Amino acid sequence: MQLICVSRGSFSAGKELAEKLAKKLDYPCLGREELIEEATRSGIPVGKLETAMIKPHQFTERLAREKAHFRAFMTKALCERALQGNLVYHGRTGHLLLPGVENIFRIRVIADMEYRIRSVMQRLRLDRDKSRQYIESVEEDRARWVREFYGVHWDEASQYDVILNTSQINLDNASAALCSMAQLPEFQLTPASRRALGDLLLGARVRLALAEDPRTADLEVKVRSDQRHITVTYLPQQRKAAELIPEVLKGLEGVEDFTCTPATTNVLWIEEQYSPDSESFHQVVEVASKWGAAVELLRFLPEDGPEVSPAEEEFVEQGADASALFSPPKSGSSAYNGGIEDDEPEGRPAEDDGGLAAATRELTRIGIAGGSRIIRGTQQKMLAMLDRTVPYSLLVVGSVFRSKGHAAQTRLTRELMSSLEEQLKAPAVSPQDLKAYLFTRRQLGQLIACLVATAILFWLVMTHQEPILRFLTPSGIPFKILAAVVLALFVSAFAYLYGTATSLFLKWLKFE
Amino acid sequence: MEETLSQMFISLDFWAAAQVVLLGFIGGTLSGFIGSGGAFFMTPGMMNLGVNGVVAVASNITHKFGKAMMGSKKHGEMGNVDRKLGVFLVLTSFLGIRLAVWINSRLFHMSGDSHGAAKGAAANLYISAVFVSVLSLVAISMLRDALRSRGAQGGSTPSRKLSQFLGRLRLYPLISFPVADVKVSLWILLLVGLATGYLAGTIGVGGFIGVPAMIYVFGVPTTVAAGTELYLAMFMGAFGALNYAYEGYVDIRLTLLLYLGSLLGLYLGVYGTKVVREVMIRIVTGVIILLCVASRGIAIPMYLRQLGWLSLDPSWDTYLNGASKVMLFASGITGAGIILFNVFRAYRQRSRVRASLAAVATA
Repeated sequence: MQLICVSRGSFSAGKELAEKLAKKLDYPCLGREELIEEATRSGIPVGKLETAMIKPHQFTERLAREKAHFRAFMTKALCERALQGNLVYHGRTGHLLLPGVENIFRIRVIADMEYRIRSVMQRLRLDRDKSRQYIESVEEDRARWVREFYGVHWDEASQYDVILNTSQINLDNASAALCSMAQLPEFQLTPASRRALGDLLLGARVRLALAEDPRTADLEVKVRSDQRHITVTYLPQQRKAAELIPEVLKGLEGVEDFTCTPATTNVLWIEEQYSPDSESFHQVVEVASKWGAAVELLRFLPEDGPEVSPAEEEFVEQGADASALFSPPKSGSSAYNGGIEDDEPEGRPAEDDGGLAAATRELTRIGIAGGSRIIRGTQQKMLAMLDRTVPYSLLVVGSVFRSKGHAAQTRLTRELMSSLEEQLKAPAVSPQDLKAYLFTRRQLGQLIACLVATAILFWLVMTHQEPILRFLTPSGIPFKILAAVVLALFVSAFAYLYGTATSLFLKWLKFE
Repeated sequence: MEETLSQMFISLDFWAAAQVVLLGFIGGTLSGFIGSGGAFFMTPGMMNLGVNGVVAVASNITHKFGKAMMGSKKHGEMGNVDRKLGVFLVLTSFLGIRLAVWINSRLFHMSGDSHGAAKGAAANLYISAVFVSVLSLVAISMLRDALRSRGAQGGSTPSRKLSQFLGRLRLYPLISFPVADVKVSLWILLLVGLATGYLAGTIGVGGFIGVPAMIYVFGVPTTVAAGTELYLAMFMGAFGALNYAYEGYVDIRLTLLLYLGSLLGLYLGVYGTKVVREVMIRIVTGVIILLCVASRGIAIPMYLRQLGWLSLDPSWDTYLNGASKVMLFASGITGAGIILFNVFRAYRQRSRVRASLAAVATA
């Protein structure tokens, strides 16, 4: 089973190449245009969305909801076709619709400007200058679209496995080369990839169901599916409408159990071992509760770290058949227990899940669960599996790379944190740093010190009004300069001290 | 106080000081909520307390410098500051400020004894006239925009017609700003910087030009416009403060009293933006600015009389000043009241949710 995604540069013959490749491999070929047509027929204002996305900062709340709706539609359509068998898809970075799905063969097709200009001149009967302008404008719009839709730069080479320049190689030879590359084991979908596709499909179905039901169509929700457990987060102010989510999801194919969490934002917590009794857990909960955030747990098992439990491997095998992904719960499977252990076959002894299930249960009980999952592999693989469009406010990186020595663990963790910050555009902190977001004794001391210093400065000015004003209204250039500089320094010091005191005081009152 | 000092600076008793703190608090709340200025309330408010226009502007711009320093630090942490854009604007804004300080100082010294005019009447009239004309335009456009978008389904974003039109003109050289994700002509940048600096120096409300210009003329996202404006305001405030301090117009007592109220109000106002709908923010802001404009407009005949340009019974000064003061305070207090009402309501709701979550967790 194979999924090949061809990302077409404008006027670079990407479509023709994808069709030739599909023909050679005898795979069905699906173009973005077909999906767009289907989406438009289903009532999604795709044209309006495209315009809003390529013209910067024109998004209204309604368009943002339509964008999520459209994304779910595209994900569902692509997952459904991919799970039916082999597929060649051509469009704009289609593989980015499927974060977490490995072994997709990702091809980018480009061409020299000269080749493209000739192509446009022939096709659109424009002169040379207009053709160039046209290409540049289309290219800019598409680049912006990809940036808005997926949060990445589409010309970033690391997004692809192969980049082909069709002005240097003819389409037959290019498709033959790709055909032989497609045989490589690295580009065959594994059971784990199919399981990820199944999760994405289920999540997309849920998102679509919520968007298409008039009772929940206006909700701003984020849907995540992990091993068939659905987590829906919604804005706290939409609590009333969100009460209808269970009704909408009831009876939806493949949905077995789900959690609904009110959240204004998300906190991503990466660990190897979770413990609901640990200090880190309490601190993460406190920060998340204060911010009204949902906590998403990600158990990261680095390549040479602990093995994934056999229960998970077992699940991966079950996932081989797409229909099995949405089969009703097996007899003996218990009620929701974190979305992890319910996949464990009956009779198998419980495996160590690193406390993930217990932590998820506790978060669900408190009402701030944002989903959980396990990723095993390299740091790059983990980063590739994260969805860049999820708006995280904070990334907490706990104890990972535990099998390494202290120095290597520190270095790798630091590198992971900086990669996460760069990719997800949110601050990454260690659980110890969380104290900065909470009101500590040290901050109480700082508050008192700043208040005392402010009071002293204020008292000095108010009790010595006349000499100070006289000093500030001198005659003679040197004195005037001195007065201006002293005033500027004094005012900045006062603003800093009093500003810090006020900010800490409001933090103490949890007024953030 | 010495006679020369008392001519320039007011004498402060407890009630006057309390009123300045209150002005700071209301101005800070409005400033945190609107994202720009606050001076539109504080400057005329201080003038109503008897502070000379130029001293009110100078003390306020000095206060604005420290406030912007704290605000831009916070926005910077959130990635809302386009430093490159700020640097481009700040250079020309210095020219604008210098021009404003020069005009204000000249006018302050120009008026005086003839026709029984109070010192600073010409500067007061000039500041009030600029204030009324510029802020009327801002308030009316803001209200029109908000009322239009109120009717639009699902809310609306600021119009991009102007930025798109200017983008099509391609006035080279174009400069790219990666954080704000826009390309802007250098000439338009210089023009906006100059206007922002001039208004910051004249009436202390450069933000009312800077923020809308960044949004409507450059096409910058609202959050980045507010963050970059504060970054810009920090430099403009520092430059303005140094200039006015050099001329000896800054009343440090007023600056400190303004801080006492404004920094607290600022944080509460920022909190308010998270709990009030955007259309409502724009409507409240527009109405408050219009009322402030009316309040300043009422005081204009008084300055005209002091300059001998209008024949009016001097006893009317008390009524005009009183009416202006009442209107200003009424508008500020009402606006800040609406904001604070929403802030505390949201805070109480959140506390209730937290308490119920804690109860569930411990059950």
